[in-house]
Amino acid sequence: MSRPKVAFFDFTCCEGCQIEFTNYGDVAFLELLKHVDVVEFREAMSEKTTDPIDIALVEGSFTREADRAKLESVRERAKIVIAYGQCATTAGINALKNHQNDYKEFVYGDDAGQANLASQKALPISAAIKVDYMAYGCPVNKYEVLQIIAHLLHGKEPVIPNYPVCVECKRRETVCRYDEADHCMGQVARAGCTAPCPAEGIPCEACRGFVDQPNIRALEKVLVERAGFSQKRAAEKALMFTANSLEATQ
Amino acid sequence: MTASFIKNSDFAAFLTAMMKAAPVYGPVAKRSRFAFARLEAPEELRLDYDVTILPPKKLFFPPAQDLLRFDSDGFEAALEPEEKILFGVHFYDVKAIDQTDLLFAERNCDINYIAHRQTTTIVASNVQTVSKRAFFATVGADVPAKGHDAALTSIDDGYVFEPLTARGEALLKFGRFAPATEAQCRGADKVNADVLAECPEKLEHGTAAIATKVRAAFKDEELWSQLAADCFSCGSCNTVCPTCYCFDVQDTWHVDQTSGKRTRYWDACLTEDFAKISLGEGATENFRDERGERFRHRLMRKAVYLNPKLGGPACVGCGRCSAACTADIADPTRIINQIMAS
Repeated sequence: MSRPKVAFFDFTCCEGCQIEFTNYGDVAFLELLKHVDVVEFREAMSEKTTDPIDIALVEGSFTREADRAKLESVRERAKIVIAYGQCATTAGINALKNHQNDYKEFVYGDDAGQANLASQKALPISAAIKVDYMAYGCPVNKYEVLQIIAHLLHGKEPVIPNYPVCVECKRRETVCRYDEADHCMGQVARAGCTAPCPAEGIPCEACRGFVDQPNIRALEKVLVERAGFSQKRAAEKALMFTANSLEATQ
Repeated sequence: MTASFIKNSDFAAFLTAMMKAAPVYGPVAKRSRFAFARLEAPEELRLDYDVTILPPKKLFFPPAQDLLRFDSDGFEAALEPEEKILFGVHFYDVKAIDQTDLLFAERNCDINYIAHRQTTTIVASNVQTVSKRAFFATVGADVPAKGHDAALTSIDDGYVFEPLTARGEALLKFGRFAPATEAQCRGADKVNADVLAECPEKLEHGTAAIATKVRAAFKDEELWSQLAADCFSCGSCNTVCPTCYCFDVQDTWHVDQTSGKRTRYWDACLTEDFAKISLGEGATENFRDERGERFRHRLMRKAVYLNPKLGGPACVGCGRCSAACTADIADPTRIINQIMAS
């Protein structure tokens, strides 16, 4: 693929994953621009396009029916659609609200009744359109994004891990959180981040979602038996980034 | 070769002199655990370690190893082996290195392993602290620990140092060694024999009997799926194993999109996609799709399949897998003893 037209689109999210794309440093970023033609990217430029595009990086969750037409328009114009960041791939932390009924009052207070705040269940963009590749993470791993783009430029299938974070912890010889009387969800969390959190003594929160076949029953058992969680806390622990996936496994 | 003796008071100077001559890698503390790392100071060496998180295999076969670099003009090997001393290896890890030496050298000799191995002098150390899940006394008990260059054993007031090769003997020049007395040698032998009784876990049967019965259990799908019920498919039992040697190879491009590198990473047969293969035209098949099948495969590799080639099981009883498995289902002694008792 020769200098593809690349555009960013955002739905329900904080746009932090788009900001990550500006964090390569000026030398690398300018070098990258020799290989991709960024035609829409509201974090860094004011131009927009209605033309066909080669790669659409779509950030954010699908939380309003009104957004369906916009997503469909992106899909129609783009050869390749990449769900960009955890809100787009699994609905990320937005999906936390799927299990609450008072979130609007809690977050917006007196303004909760405003029409523009109305939303439905938070869903991944794949609930509205076909997605070709996933760039997981909250935020995305910008180096993995570079490799996804490089693979597409070279006509190769991007390599996106379907093994858990434990693999990456072992590769860097991190002391397991469970060896330090802590908890962790690295056993079911999708790798690709290079496991920076446990290396700093912080449990994995599965911000890239689950591997394809997470053993959730075993996770709850280990959280109870080894980390001393209550059954309720163990069952709810994985909700933060994976509420929709958790629902699908039950 | 005859054994030598060095006093405790001369030991730090010995290490310091070695470290001036070549990089020395030894067990050091890492938070609540231990890891092999390059020594920056002699006092970092912790010969009282129980077991390291990763086996010393990582020095010859790193978890991520660049194999070659490429650009528009072609490619070149990324291999840059360094002369080094690997100091303080427990005998079970010596046995494991002996296995990977054989496996990487046979047929297509793997130069990326062998070159690192050939530039390494290995000094074994007696097990001063036995880890909580060790069973090294009862697995492949008749398989000798060999392939190392010297063996060090801590006795009352110093260390008995037994050179086994010319490389091992060459280390004598770095320290104030005296010939070991017969009593000191007997003391060292006793230390190394006594530790075998301290293993908290054990296999109840010998290698051949285990191999026969475990193989016979191959078709008992209910057994394997029950054993693997809590398996995360996280591969930790593989990635901490000193005898596992599977890897995956991936290319990455630099941002210029013309240069890049080819890297191999440790792979793990317990992970879901390990046995996922291409059938062509975008179709794939996973020939070990079930957790139970993957769980069984590891045990077969450790207790059965490789035995004829290795002359013993592909397991050395370090207990790393047992300890690394957060669901605590990977312990080979529990699995094998259960099968043997059935």
